[in-house]
Amino acid sequence: MSKSTEPKGKGVKRRDFLKILGVSGAAVGAAGCSPESAGKLIPYLVSPDQTVPGVSTYYATTCRECAASCGVIAETRDGRTMKLEGNPDHPLNRGAICARGQSALQQLYNPDRLRAPMIKKGGAWQSASWDEALALVSQKLGEAKSRNAAGGAVFLNQHESGSFPAFADQWLAAFGMKPHLSVDFEADQAAMEANRRAYGVSWPRLDFSQARLVVSFGADFLEGWGASVPHQLDYADARTNFENAPRSVYIGPRRTLTGMNCDQWIPCKPGSELIVAQALAGKASVAQAASASGVGADVLGALARELAAAKPSLLLAGARTANALDLALAVADLNKTLGNVGKTVLPAEPLTAFEGIARYSELADAVERMRGGSVPVAFVRGTNPAYYLPASLKFADAFAKVPFKVAFATQPDETVEACDVVLPDLHSLESWGDAMPVKGTLALQQPAMDPVFGGTRGAGDVMLALAQKDPSAAAKFPQNSYREWVMARFPGGPAGFASGLAKGVMPGTLPVPAAPAPLAMTAPPVLESTAGDFYLITYPHALLGDGRGANKPWLQELPDPVAKIVWSSWVEMHPETATKMGIERGDIVEVKTAHGAIRAPAYLYLGVRPDTIAIPLGQGHRAAAPIPAWDPLHQDPVKNVQWGYGRYARGVGVNPLDLVPAAADAAGGFVWTVTKATVAKTGDRETIPSTEGSARQHGRGIAQAITITDLLSGKGNEVKEAPLPGDASHEYLPGLRAPVAADAQGDIGAPTAADSGTHLGMYDPKNPLGMARRRWAMTVDLARCTGCSACVTACYAENNIPTVGAAWQNATVYAVEKTGYNVVRGREMNWIRIERYFEGAPDAKFGEEWEGRVVPMMCQQCGNAPCEPVCPVFATYHSPDGLNVQVYNRCVGTRYCSNNCPYKVRYFNWFGYGEKDRRQYAFPEPLNWQLNPDVTVRGKGVMEKCTFCVQRIREAENRAKLEHRELIPDEFTTACAASCPSRAITFGDAADERWSVNKLIEDRRAYTVFKEINTYPAVVYLKKVNHPSPAAAGNA
Amino acid sequence: MTKRRKWTAIPGLIVLAAGAVMLSAYSGASSSQNSSPVQPIPFPHSVHVGKLGINCVYCHYSANKSPDPGFPAVSTCMGCHTLIGPNRPASNLGAARTSVGIQTLWNYAGMGGKPAKPIPWIRIHRLPDYVHFPHMRHINAGVTCQTCHGPIQTEDRVYQYATLNMGWCVNCHVNGYDPQQGEEMASMVSDGHGGAMLPAGFTAPTTATPDSLRKHARYDCSVCHY
Repeated sequence: MSKSTEPKGKGVKRRDFLKILGVSGAAVGAAGCSPESAGKLIPYLVSPDQTVPGVSTYYATTCRECAASCGVIAETRDGRTMKLEGNPDHPLNRGAICARGQSALQQLYNPDRLRAPMIKKGGAWQSASWDEALALVSQKLGEAKSRNAAGGAVFLNQHESGSFPAFADQWLAAFGMKPHLSVDFEADQAAMEANRRAYGVSWPRLDFSQARLVVSFGADFLEGWGASVPHQLDYADARTNFENAPRSVYIGPRRTLTGMNCDQWIPCKPGSELIVAQALAGKASVAQAASASGVGADVLGALARELAAAKPSLLLAGARTANALDLALAVADLNKTLGNVGKTVLPAEPLTAFEGIARYSELADAVERMRGGSVPVAFVRGTNPAYYLPASLKFADAFAKVPFKVAFATQPDETVEACDVVLPDLHSLESWGDAMPVKGTLALQQPAMDPVFGGTRGAGDVMLALAQKDPSAAAKFPQNSYREWVMARFPGGPAGFASGLAKGVMPGTLPVPAAPAPLAMTAPPVLESTAGDFYLITYPHALLGDGRGANKPWLQELPDPVAKIVWSSWVEMHPETATKMGIERGDIVEVKTAHGAIRAPAYLYLGVRPDTIAIPLGQGHRAAAPIPAWDPLHQDPVKNVQWGYGRYARGVGVNPLDLVPAAADAAGGFVWTVTKATVAKTGDRETIPSTEGSARQHGRGIAQAITITDLLSGKGNEVKEAPLPGDASHEYLPGLRAPVAADAQGDIGAPTAADSGTHLGMYDPKNPLGMARRRWAMTVDLARCTGCSACVTACYAENNIPTVGAAWQNATVYAVEKTGYNVVRGREMNWIRIERYFEGAPDAKFGEEWEGRVVPMMCQQCGNAPCEPVCPVFATYHSPDGLNVQVYNRCVGTRYCSNNCPYKVRYFNWFGYGEKDRRQYAFPEPLNWQLNPDVTVRGKGVMEKCTFCVQRIREAENRAKLEHRELIPDEFTTACAASCPSRAITFGDAADERWSVNKLIEDRRAYTVFKEINTYPAVVYLKKVNHPSPAAAGNA
Repeated sequence: MTKRRKWTAIPGLIVLAAGAVMLSAYSGASSSQNSSPVQPIPFPHSVHVGKLGINCVYCHYSANKSPDPGFPAVSTCMGCHTLIGPNRPASNLGAARTSVGIQTLWNYAGMGGKPAKPIPWIRIHRLPDYVHFPHMRHINAGVTCQTCHGPIQTEDRVYQYATLNMGWCVNCHVNGYDPQQGEEMASMVSDGHGGAMLPAGFTAPTTATPDSLRKHARYDCSVCHY
């Protein structure tokens, strides 16, 4: 400027002034709005019938996330399914739904879903048209047939109950091929085989309510063994029937979530469950069993005496060791001799959903045939053997020997990558079908919405199209679609099918496939004689299952119910062992067996034997081909196929099945605990992404419990405390003794106030607007809660909560490209979390009794909330109906509220996970189709938290008003309570005695967390009830 | 010297700019009130509602039962316009003419030989995502459409009548909805110059509506923001 030719003068020069004005003006302009920014309104061409824009339509259909086939109600609005709830009419889940079931939506809308057929040409994938792909498959089928080789073909299908297995078999037969294998890698073959031999059915119904003692030999009935949702419902009901509640005992080397929910854990050595069962049956001596299992003879003796006295009892076998079948048979025998059959074990009401699951040995046999070169064509639908079959089976090599491999898949995975043709399949929420969950009941499956991607076609439809290309098969399949085929076969035909659609279930029977006899397999190695210092337990992850869930960010972000670890694999070790070896939490250890080695961080857990380590399956998905560097914001979903099971699964954690030999038990089931391993410290460390603070309560009384004897004798009932200092001098509302907003907003309304309490405004219960008549409240029954975490996923789905753990989701500047890093930094957003605490075993010594407790922790909607007075902008305040409201558009992100919250239930949106143009965006297209339109998608710099699903409250109020009525007691509930498989959560109006919650808050077990700080929470917990062993009743 | 003096003006201007932003935000000046974009089809509400008397919910069919008022599908238009084609004979609506609007509609509806496609209407009324405005609550409480959307029955081209700012919402929620005023708005007729006026013979009450006759609504934040 000094060289400027303009005359020098005082003040701002004209040019500079214009520059400055320009900048300021642009700022003002940017803040303004133009009408174009309001966007377009695109109407329908023809309005669909029976839908009202902005109002949900509900479709009853069947869940396919595990083999159990529960019923779900898909809530669909404006053509998009946005929430799954349990179907109350379904005999299995009775309105509840688990975390895995709810996450089906994230498969439906997975950004990595396949959108068009692909053909592998010269080792490279190329997009193809359907005509091209079908012509190729048809040609190869014809070739195999003409060479008379079709008989060797293999069809692997992810097990689903209903008509599809029969359809697949008929289709295969039309081409001269053998029946397909209906695979479910998580299925407990030993238990099913023993059930068939003992009761004639694969899975009898288990009635926990009749039992006085439940003894589980490694059967994780609350988390994936059998149908966990009905087990949870029944178990919770039985346990809260206090006078007649069953005591529960878990026998196994690792205390799983089910083990934690049992009153007693008997940590026997892996494989010694059998001799313990024999000792209980009197077929082996207690001393023998004690020495073989490493458990004290006194413990086993006491259990044997208790078992003899408890009539009826319920014994369950689910250990996955080499002698699993012997154990299951011994337990079935015990159930018989103890008179439990017909009382707690009900073979007359069997679950039929598991019928027809192929044994692991059949799968291994098919792999060997592939290796032998006798398989001309292989089909894989929805199952991923390349991931879950143990590395020692060398599936990839065998599969490569098959000349032509076809995948029906919704999404790229390890097996699809090894195929030659990919035919993008429809998701179960887009397809027709049926299932038979229990004997005599048919469950229907109908599409809840049109296919998300136009380029996808249902496997059934594609198979019909292929059949029609073949001259001899065409006559057998005249139907145009799989839907027609299903309906024609359905009892009552299409009309019968249509009549059941409204409820989703109807009485009826479909033919059940017979289970083939187990194949003879080479016996698994004797566990004791394998090389290594530790027994190695591998187990399917409670949430990710056999790896199926790893591509769904909700499940990745959902803490493991026991370890509280997310987005990671871990090696569970007993603290005693770890101390001995100098290993601390987070130290990377190398686990080695004769079959392979993996490296993963150590997690010190009281619930494994010191001579045992445990590693969950589910993670460790890998792509065979190198993935080019990718940018989450600029992805071409057709060109850049996300191999390695999608962006959320690839490269996360390790697969423990790299370590184990491929071995089958006598029932043909896969043996999960089959070898020993050595563990070595590597010197590397990492912070495990975990949502856990401290595993101990430190006397804070967050998770409280009472023994059954105290409860029944009325001890603890008399505790009606004296008024606390600072207590409100009067009760503002019936129900919860809470000052509502008054204290938080100043002592308005109190008779002692300057205006004599006359100016209550909208907080006046007599205010004609009526809001203050209500006090929304919640009770959480810890005697029911199992910690399964279904509520957490329900909350994510309902409230548009972003997942934050993916590697690219942390800071843009100084980014740390590490999966789970945001969680390490405490940035997770779980509005409701399950806190898990250990009680007892203060020195973490093995052999000490300890107990696991779980507490769902969400915003307590305090009547006297510490967060409210510190907000400088009134973004959080108390509503007249008792909610601690968070106004997102008012929040400026000071985070004072979070600092002042004693419960730590407020979560800060650090990086704009809800904003489309950021790399941290948590809902890449089409995941955002799931977003609940009733809830704001929060932007960066906003504090968010649970508001008791205020959108559901308002919706219910709107509906009531529309129907000219008052709210009906218990007519609606929050998302967490609706999903809860143990019915632990009750929500409602505490000020109205007709609501259930009004009575529950006065329960003899009721307490509030941190009562001493006068927050007056609207969340009331009911104490957990423990049943100490009769032998150890003194020290409970 | 000059340099230093020059930059001293900046903080002042920034404050000025910030002030302008604040002022515009709180005054309603930043609202898109009165915006009236040109639509792909010059659909005259004045003819359909004002002259022909079609009920609002014939096209906006869910306004009384859903938060979303509903938007007519092309097939809804064609329900009448299959018969009422572009060549309009002389009627009480005017002299014989060819209607460009109906011709455009026919083209969208696939009557012009090309495949049918939806009409890309330009949105005028929009609330931010964090505001929940359930139409049915207001309609069923007796609030006339015109209270918020203006004398739509007189509008040849729709414009945004209200500011749609929070102050405007809260004003009604706290002070109450005046049925008289709503009735007046709904009774307006076109003044022939693009404006609206009360029809002859409509006697507006001379006194203000007493509070007891006003309809009050909840004004708690969480009623609309969640």
